[in-house]
Order: sequence, then structure tokens, then C-alpha cells
Amino acid sequence: MPSMDDTMLSPLLTITLRTLWICGSALILALLVGVPIGIALGSRQFVSRGLLVSSVNAGMGAPPVVVGLIGSILLARSGPLGELELIYTPYAMILTSTAIALPLVIGLTLAAVGSLDAEWDLQVRTLGIGRRWRIWLLVREIRMGLLAAIIAAMGGILSEVGAVRMVGGNIEGETRVLTTAIMMHTSMGEYEEALGQAAVLVGNMLVLAGLLTWIQQSGRSRG
Amino acid sequence: MSTTPNRVALSAHALLCRRGHGADRFELRVDRLDLHAGEVLVILGPNGAGKSTLLRALAGLDRSVDPRAIRGPQGPTTLVFQRPTALSGSVEGNVRAALLGKGVPEAERRDRVHRALDRFDILPLARHDARTLSGGELRRLALARAFVLEPEVLLLDEPFDDLDAAGQRHLSLDLQEAIRETGVAVAMVTHDLRRALLLADRIAVLSHGELAQHGPRDEVLSHPDTPEIAHTVGMTNVSPGRVVRREEDLSWIEIEAGFEVPTTATLDVGVDAWIGIRPEHLKLDVGRGDGRPIGKAVVESLVSDGLASVVTLRVHDRRFTTHLLSGRGLARRLRPGDPVSLAVQPDQVHARLS
Amino acid sequence: MFRIRTVLLVAALWALAIGAPPSADAERSLILATTTSVRDSGLLDALLPRFTETSGIGVRVIAVGTGAALRMGREGNADLLLTHAPSAERALVDEGVVARRTPFMQNFFVIAGPETDPAGIARMGSPAEAIAGIVEKRTCWVSRADDSGTHKREKALFRDAGLAPNLERDGLIRTGSGMGLSLQIAGQRRCYILSDIGTFLAFQERVHLVPLSQPSPSLRNVYSLLQLDESRFARPLHREEAEALEAYLLSPSTLEEIGAFGRDRFGRALFTPLTPADAPMQPKP
Repeated sequence: MPSMDDTMLSPLLTITLRTLWICGSALILALLVGVPIGIALGSRQFVSRGLLVSSVNAGMGAPPVVVGLIGSILLARSGPLGELELIYTPYAMILTSTAIALPLVIGLTLAAVGSLDAEWDLQVRTLGIGRRWRIWLLVREIRMGLLAAIIAAMGGILSEVGAVRMVGGNIEGETRVLTTAIMMHTSMGEYEEALGQAAVLVGNMLVLAGLLTWIQQSGRSRG
Repeated sequence: MSTTPNRVALSAHALLCRRGHGADRFELRVDRLDLHAGEVLVILGPNGAGKSTLLRALAGLDRSVDPRAIRGPQGPTTLVFQRPTALSGSVEGNVRAALLGKGVPEAERRDRVHRALDRFDILPLARHDARTLSGGELRRLALARAFVLEPEVLLLDEPFDDLDAAGQRHLSLDLQEAIRETGVAVAMVTHDLRRALLLADRIAVLSHGELAQHGPRDEVLSHPDTPEIAHTVGMTNVSPGRVVRREEDLSWIEIEAGFEVPTTATLDVGVDAWIGIRPEHLKLDVGRGDGRPIGKAVVESLVSDGLASVVTLRVHDRRFTTHLLSGRGLARRLRPGDPVSLAVQPDQVHARLS
Repeated sequence: MFRIRTVLLVAALWALAIGAPPSADAERSLILATTTSVRDSGLLDALLPRFTETSGIGVRVIAVGTGAALRMGREGNADLLLTHAPSAERALVDEGVVARRTPFMQNFFVIAGPETDPAGIARMGSPAEAIAGIVEKRTCWVSRADDSGTHKREKALFRDAGLAPNLERDGLIRTGSGMGLSLQIAGQRRCYILSDIGTFLAFQERVHLVPLSQPSPSLRNVYSLLQLDESRFARPLHREEAEALEAYLLSPSTLEEIGAFGRDRFGRALFTPLTPADAPMQPKP
């Protein structure tokens, strides 16, 4: 569906699809960036490692609304990144959600790598396995930990409301997602609409969480 | 075990290895060490001497080592760790993983994996989850994984750790056969002296980060260069003394008043020397003319490990040990406190200048 | 492994399939900064679609607090402002940030309270008296305390009554929140509150509060359109589009629609359009 014609699809469906698109993109981006960083941090010892790991831990606890605030200041037209014209676009929302989820992904990946044998990499190297394949094997070894990271990040991204509202503006037809719409309808006193959207949101979360849990459990039994 | 050296598979020259910082610094220096195809080099030494460090350096895993110091083989070198990790997946999958990214066609891959599993008797476990393996099975998996690579050099770090006697025996037989069949050059670190002696073609002794002595098995065992090396290779009966006379081509070394030990080594009278006698060469004189009598001792203790009894003897302030076969003759009759006469064959007495 | 690969594949496909959302970047658009109460009234939802249809210009409505909306104007982060805080707006005109200020519709704030009206303000003539009465009788008062247009008016009313607006007193509840939430708190605690008429009507039944004040000049709530002075900003504003929107909002047919808005839902109009001649004399701050 390259272009969504709003009159053809019901508004609720449009908002839902947009929500899934924005949240999914943020999740994928957070994984693409965060997993390699987590692996790199978890595998090696180097001088500034302690500092970086502390930052990651701090980032995991950082309030999303703070990320939203910083994002809206940076991306505003008058801000340093104003030229990019990202403010009040879905891309700003994706970037902000990614920034919120990133420390979580890095932290959980790091923990997963840390749970491996200290000499895991050496042992695999001594089998003469090349770097690319070693990375593949590593990801395979930590896949359960990665799944936990995905589940956690997904939950956080889907429920984000304040930060994405700040950088997205909740513009109808463009940057309105389920969470910001729920807030808006609630502040207008339109509880029926809000509840309907809430049901869709929770429903989506349940389906996705269920799917991931199923993968997790079947992976576990397979060992 | 061959007497003429085989082709050299790996040669280390001026190997220098640095690990740790500050108070934990450790340096390993090896001037020259060769590994020969089809031969087992056992690396002995006290804890902290640098044995595992040496293995890892030879495996090319140590970044502080100049790569030029190791003239390696054409084929693969691999190291089996003291605590091997199993990858998640099946036993077969683990062994297969060793062949990742090496361009081995599927049919050959299957064949090699099959053979490797069979070599170490774990074919029945092929589909099992590698994480459910016992310690011994895990070691076999690690070896199978190593052999599937068809390595030219195989480095083993304590391969018999945590195995019971039967397990060790079984594994050691399978390993020997594998070495014989493939002609791989092996260097092995083990603290189990007896197992080492059974497998070794050559021995290298490390001490304080240096290669103290290396050479063919029997030579190192019978002629250690220093008392410390003597202890490491199991020559427990070491004592300082002085050469008091020469007679019949033998040098007699007095280690205690009235206790003179003859040796075939040629030494000048009056010099300070030390002698070493392997426990199995220190005999209890029962009047059968089995060597020259050297003096009397008192039995202090007898400890049997099922196969051999280790008898500790006291000579004044010194202790000597000897081995007797358990459950036979003397071993059954001796009691602590019994006086015994000691005898040796002079060609089994090792002596060096102090 | 197979399973993970499938999931990844599906995820990648889905990301591609949903594709880019319809973006207003390619077509013409402008950013209209307004307040949450305006947005919540639903007026813009009723008016703007026709504008976009006929002009082809997308309006990106950003609804924030009054303070934030005016700040967006000051920093050139919006193209047009629709606010209702006359003295703050005038300050912007004086500064030269706003090139043209056009009041175009109005309604009245309302002081609402519990049906029982413990302070008896229904009988009082002016809002200032009502507030004085509430404070004197120590009945509770809910304030948004968020520098919104409503809050600014509230402070002005307190000053009219000769009272310091921020004075700590028994019975003052400061919510720092939006109108709807503040109304709900007032309803829960049976307090008095100043509210804009639109949000009040939307929440009236739910919160069990009744309007107790009479329309009066000091309760007048005037909504203005603010055109920004382009020359002040490094980045260009969407000038033409902002002018087009203003023209549309001020057109007679739109003003007529404004005057009718709210009847279906509340039985009464929420806003009264102003023609230029109507622009009232503002009470001095």
C-alpha cells in the first residue's frame, strides 16, 4: 500500500496501520543498530568499556519524555537539525522511538553476550571459523536473549505516547498513532473513541507478544 | 613411538609471549620448540609455569606474539580447551559447525562429520542436545570437532581433566588411534603424569615461563637437567651429595653418612653432585641380587591407588619413594615401621654436578 | 533457525509493504499552531478539510499549550497561530514577531461549580465578585496553573478582585494539567473552576458541574489569527499557504459555519464569529 487513501480505509484502520509501521520501523532500526553495538560491547574488554556500559544502563532508565523533549528541541525548525524538516513527521517519531528503545536493546544484548562462556570467541576461533561465521554463530547462541530484547523493546515502543506526541504533533492523517489518539480523545472527553482505540492497541500488543512468546517457548524446548 | 624424528609440522622460534599488566605480568620465552607429525609432545610444569599460555601461543590465539615466531603448518592448527564449550544445537551440529565457511561440499561434510563422531565413539549421541552431555562426552565432542578439521597440528589442554580412570583409558586409546591414523602433530598439557608418560613421545618441561628442558621422552624422564625438573617428571628421589670415590667405572656419591649411591655417570671425586632415582628404579633389597645395596631405610607409609602402592621410606631426615605392585608380595607384607634395605642399578641412577 | 529467518523475512516484507505514509511534504502545507482547547473543541476538524480540498494545501495542526504555541511563533516553528491570549498576543505584535493580528471569533469563559453553589456565586453580578466570594468563603478552587489562555484569564480575574492570583490559600488546587482533566478534578472535589465553554460542555455531564457565571466582558474569550513577520526568521515560512488559510477562515461562509458549530453536539454554538467591525475593545490588562 504505497499510498494510503484515507477515504477508502476507516480512520481507525489507518491509524492502526500507521502505528504498526512507525513502531515496527523503530523496532527494526533499534535492533539493527543496537544488537551490533551490544555484541561489540559484550565481547571485548577495552579501556572505556565501563563508561559505555554505564551510559547504556543509564539510558535504559532514561524517561522517554526526556528523549522526546530533546528530540523536539533538536528537530524543530529553529533547532540545529531544523533543516532536515523532520519535526511533525512520522520519521521524527521513528527516530525518537528508536532512541528510546536503543539502550534497552543494547543492554539486553550485552547481557546475553555476557552470559556466554568467557572464552567462547577464542574457542570458536580456534576452529578456524572466519569472522562472519563467528558472528552468525554468536547471534545464534544468544538468540533467546535477543528475543527477550525484542519483546521488551516492542512493548516500550508501542506504548510510547508523550515523546512521540512531542515530535510528531499528533497530526491527523500524518502523525496520529493509537497512543496519541487515545490521549487526545480522552482530553476531549470522547471516551468511547478512546476505548475503541485502546482495545485495538492492546489487541495488537497481545497478538504480537503472543507470537513472540510462542517463538521463544518453542525455541526453548528445542534447546 | 618412533626413534627418528618425523617431519616437523610446527616450529616455534624465539617465541615471546606477554600477558597481563603490572603485578600480574607474565612472560613466556621459548627459544626453539618443534612439533613433529604423528608425535605427541607432552608439556609438563608446575602451575603458573606458562603451559596453557604456550599452547595458546602455538595456536595463534595470543595477540602479543609475533606471528613470525611460529612457522606453522600448511593445514589447520586447532586447540581443544580445558573446558570445551558446546554450541547450542545437536552433537552433530557442533561438529558440523567446525566446517562452516570452509567450502566443503555437503557430501564430504557429512562424511567427515560421521567419521569424526565415530572416531570418538559418540555416533549414537549425534542427535542429542550438546548441552545435555556429561563431562566425558563433552570432551569427546570437543575432540571430534577438532578432528573433523583434519588438522595438521592438534593442541590439547588437560584433555583428561575430570575423567575417571576408565574414561581416561578409553579416551586415551581412541586418541592414540586417531593420532596414528591421521599423523597429526600433537602438543598436550596435562598435570596427570602417568597419563602423560603413557602417551608422550617427547616431553617439554616449562618453568617460570621458560622452556627448561625438552627432548625424547625417556631421555627427559631419566636425565632431567635440574632437581626441579626431576620432580616435575616424577623422579621423586632427589638428593644432594658428594662424590667420594670411583670404582669399577662407577662414581659413588655419598648422600648421607653410610649411604652411598653408585652411578654410571662419570664425575670427579670430591665434587658436589645431586642424584635422582625414579621411584620405580628404587628397589627394596630382598636378597635376589637385584642391584647394588645402598643402605637401609624405614617404611613410613604405604598408599595404594589400586594399581600401585607408593611406599614412602625414611632415611635419616630424607624421604624416598618407591612403587610396588599392589596386592602382590612385598606390598602385602610391609607395614609402617618395617626396616628395609634399598638397592639400585647404577645405570638407573641419574647424577649431575650441582 | 528456520523460524527466525521466517520472522525476519516477514518483518522485512511488512516494512516494505506498508511503505511510506502519505506525506504532505510533496504537496503544499503549513503548520498551524493552536491551543489544546481549540483542538479539543473539534472546530478545526470541521473547517479544515474543505480548505484542503479546495486549495490543495494541507494543514498540519499542532495543538499545544498557549505558552508553547506563542513560543513556536516566536521561534518561527509555525506558519500561522490561532490563539486566545490577547495581552500575550499583543506583546508579540509589539515585539514585531507578529506582523498582523486578526481577532475573528469569540466566546465566554465560564465559572463552573457544584450544583449546591456553596459560595452562592450565581447571584453575584461580576466574575470578580464571584471570585472574591469563593475565596472569602474558603470554598475550593481548581486552577490549571499552566500559563494557558484560561489560566492567564483566571489570573486577570483574581487581580480584578484585588487578590494575588498565586497566593497560597486553603482550598486552592493547582493541577498543571489540561482543561478536561482539571474539570474532572473539580467535579470530583466539588470545587469551582474557570473553564472555556467548549471543553466545559464536553465534560459537563460527566463531572456534575454547572455554569454559574453570567457572560461578562471580563469573561470574554477572543480568538485571533496571528501572521508572523517572515523577515525575522532564518528559515522561510510557508507564507502563501498561511495567507490562504487566513483568508479562508475569515471568509463569510467560514464565519457562518463557525457560528453554527456545536449545535448538533451541545445544542448551542460554541463560538461567535467576529467581523472586523465587531472586534471588541479589550479590557485593559
